[in-house]
Amino acid sequence: MKGEFLMTEPILRINNLHKKFKDTEVLKGVTLTVNEGEVVVIIGPSGTGKSTLLRCINRLTEPDAGEIYLGEHKIESAKSNLTKVRQRIGMVFQDFNLFNHLTALQNVAIGPIKVKKMNKKDALELAMRELERVGMADKAQNYPAELSGGQKQRVAIARALAMDPEIMLFDEPTSALDPELIGEVLEVMKKLADAGMTMVVVSHEMGFAREAADRIVFLEDGVIAEMGSPEKIFNNPEKERTREFISKIARLHGSDSEMPGTGS
Amino acid sequence: MEMIQFFIKIWPELYKGLLVSLQLSAGALLLGLAIGLPMALARTYGKGLVKTLATAYIEIIRGTPMIVQLFIIYYGLPDFGILLDRMPAAIIALGINSSAYQAEYFRGAILSIDEGQGLAAQALGMTKSQTIVNIILPQALRLVLPPWSNELIYMVKYTSVAFLIAVPELMARGKMIITQTFKPMETLFWVGAIYVVVLSVIAKAVDIIEKKLAIPGFQMSRED
Repeated sequence: MKGEFLMTEPILRINNLHKKFKDTEVLKGVTLTVNEGEVVVIIGPSGTGKSTLLRCINRLTEPDAGEIYLGEHKIESAKSNLTKVRQRIGMVFQDFNLFNHLTALQNVAIGPIKVKKMNKKDALELAMRELERVGMADKAQNYPAELSGGQKQRVAIARALAMDPEIMLFDEPTSALDPELIGEVLEVMKKLADAGMTMVVVSHEMGFAREAADRIVFLEDGVIAEMGSPEKIFNNPEKERTREFISKIARLHGSDSEMPGTGS
Repeated sequence: MEMIQFFIKIWPELYKGLLVSLQLSAGALLLGLAIGLPMALARTYGKGLVKTLATAYIEIIRGTPMIVQLFIIYYGLPDFGILLDRMPAAIIALGINSSAYQAEYFRGAILSIDEGQGLAAQALGMTKSQTIVNIILPQALRLVLPPWSNELIYMVKYTSVAFLIAVPELMARGKMIITQTFKPMETLFWVGAIYVVVLSVIAKAVDIIEKKLAIPGFQMSRED
């Protein structure tokens, strides 16, 4: 377990987060600390606020109450620091959201150019390196419409990485993909985790969770129902609900024993 | 044969009119763009009074006949001490009229851009205005080309109303030729023919521009 030697500084602290949409309270007081280099996988039934939790972190959704700290820096909605904070948080969306009018290379370069004011030549070189990192260099000049879902998601990961974030958020990164395309995206994420990137991943990919996660968070009904190492959550969960959910997911997504490389 | 001879005779006069028509069209379209795009942004992204004013402007202009607008500007404004020459009056009237329609084309295109595009831009740390300029507008402007080219074609034809305030455009020249030659049918035939030819050239040009700006797959999301 890599978690043992990575228990360093907390990089993200979420304290008693609440969020209501109209009359539905989606987050009912979530408290979670993520350490530097840690990979946290959030699982849970749909509608329990997993995506909302991620979106509250970079304030794409405005929480109703609670605090979030990135390092020492409290994340607030005040415009001035919000764009700065977002630069430090990479986000990967379920449906990729690549910029349709830009090539893969331009998609990756536009953040550094427009947000970080990097000069164009450097940004394009950086973008090319990031595309190489996700195995998409040969498609650099292609537009999103010319890419498969898996390729789009890899470009989206490169786009987030190009901002040199301190933490990466993945919002169901493989849910919109055909089954045969999931592997290539998980592989890139696995590599990223191995390289020490701090990651918060909403995903039901059990193989990935078991292999790459330091911690699994089971979110249910707006609160963290249970949290622990993959070992504990998958094999010896404390709560019956966790066990039920894990076995349901295992039926839907294939049991984790079928995933390659789980022995590591 | 007679028709051709007649055309050769009246062409120099019609040509002068055509140039005026095209100047009117270009001026009005640009003015319409200059007012319409900010109006679209104000109506789409503005809040409170800004949004209300933009919406009111668009709806009032779209809700009144162009001739009324033209006459207000040419005959009405002098009451307030604003005296405009025919040509500027026509350009302003047609431009203001066009701006309301252009605003709605732009707004429609902006609204059709998937919300995820803006979210992804914000997640990168772009400000709202950076998002609009770098992500939303480049896509919206491509989507707006087909309706916008319709506006261009309407505009060239609409300029004929300027003859009502005696701007010497194509239609006005035709009218003059009719009074001189007593050949309304022949004259109007050629006036109409000139519009047809000019408009097909413009349509072709827009087509080429659209193809130049096209991005693989981007047309597929265009369903109008």
